[in-house]
Amino acid sequence: MKTAYLASLVLIVSTAYVIRLIAILPFFHTQAGTEKDTKDGVNLLKIRKSSKKPLKIFVFLGSGGHTGEMIRLLENYQDLLLGKSIVYLGYSDEASRQRFAHFIKKFGHCKVEYYEFMKAREVKATLLQSVKTIIGTLVQSFVHVVRIRFAMCGSPHLFLLNGPGTCCIISLWLKIMELLLPLLGSSHIVYVESLARINTPSLTGKILYWVVDEFIVQWQELRDNYLPRSKWFGILV
Amino acid sequence: MGIIEEKTLFVTCGATVPFPKLVSCVLSDEFCQELIQYGFVRLIIQFGRNYSSEFEHLVQERGGQRESQKIPIDQFGCGDTARQYVLMNGKLKVIGFDFSTKMQSIIRDYSDLVISHAGTGSILDSLRLNKPLIVCVNDSLMDNHQQQIADKFVELGYVWSCAPTETGLIAGLRASQTEKLKPFPVSHNPSFERLLVETIYS
Repeated sequence: MKTAYLASLVLIVSTAYVIRLIAILPFFHTQAGTEKDTKDGVNLLKIRKSSKKPLKIFVFLGSGGHTGEMIRLLENYQDLLLGKSIVYLGYSDEASRQRFAHFIKKFGHCKVEYYEFMKAREVKATLLQSVKTIIGTLVQSFVHVVRIRFAMCGSPHLFLLNGPGTCCIISLWLKIMELLLPLLGSSHIVYVESLARINTPSLTGKILYWVVDEFIVQWQELRDNYLPRSKWFGILV
Repeated sequence: MGIIEEKTLFVTCGATVPFPKLVSCVLSDEFCQELIQYGFVRLIIQFGRNYSSEFEHLVQERGGQRESQKIPIDQFGCGDTARQYVLMNGKLKVIGFDFSTKMQSIIRDYSDLVISHAGTGSILDSLRLNKPLIVCVNDSLMDNHQQQIADKFVELGYVWSCAPTETGLIAGLRASQTEKLKPFPVSHNPSFERLLVETIYS
């Protein structure tokens, strides 16, 4: 008798998790977003004004060109993203951190917290070194991500990512948290593929296409030929 | 504009890898001759890290005379390793430095034309500031995205492109002085902003 109860309990729990998984992964989302495009700007303002709490935004600077594009994105949408926001800034190289620190000086209202992430993969690393750094990165990023995600509870929030590999780990932890803690709600992960990607997605892009809540490409042919669920608005950086 | 008194070409090789072919081509007699013909009197070159001594050597080989005149290093954001020379019997001023923290102000305030390597950051810097741009693809790099991005921007009419050869660069320069580019669209996109708002406040 006991085993029957146990079995049914396991069945119910696992079914619940499968349903939860379906709910949080993007490929089962309905394409309602595109139909809402006719909404006017007044409504947009209303949505923003209705929330009195500051926006909490996590941004990852992936070094070099990734950092450059991310800073351009933030600059282009500064009114929305850098108003009175709290910025959780992930980085893995000192140059990116300094570039951001210099950039954010213009936005006096923003509060910034810096989080250093170890690089997911060093160029030219041996297999053993790679395994070591990947495990180290996994643990360290887990601690960061949990802290940041909980700090965002109850506030309007956004995870803005554009590569490279570390973004996969960050997204993975966020989705695992969503899976295990249904009350936490969506993490709101937006991934913007690099402008340099015209014909083929990056490896990070290929993985995150199945994970993130909104996948944005900057070239129409990339959406049409490879990533039909992605959204294209033109060049954003 | 006020600040631009001397018609200036700005050449940028990117911060990371030097681009010797491009530097050597823009310093060639044939190219400099062409520049002077189109009224350019100043050539600013950002040549990348670990290339200073080669640069100095190259300029002197081409008959460049070192000038001790002060370079506005604060406005250029280039540090005091910057050097100034005169080429072509004093008709062309050449300023060279490895790296600048103020690329945008050099482009905006000092440049009439930009020749850039095909990194997206450098391309966007010029296009966002509405400066005419010739993109020169570094064919010794393994990165074929640079070729793709250059081709794409040429196809859209936003830039001219050329190979890092003297004839290629001269052709590019001629195009830049006789043709017009299509305006680069503004960066702010209301539909993307709407998506962000809906995501954030959902």
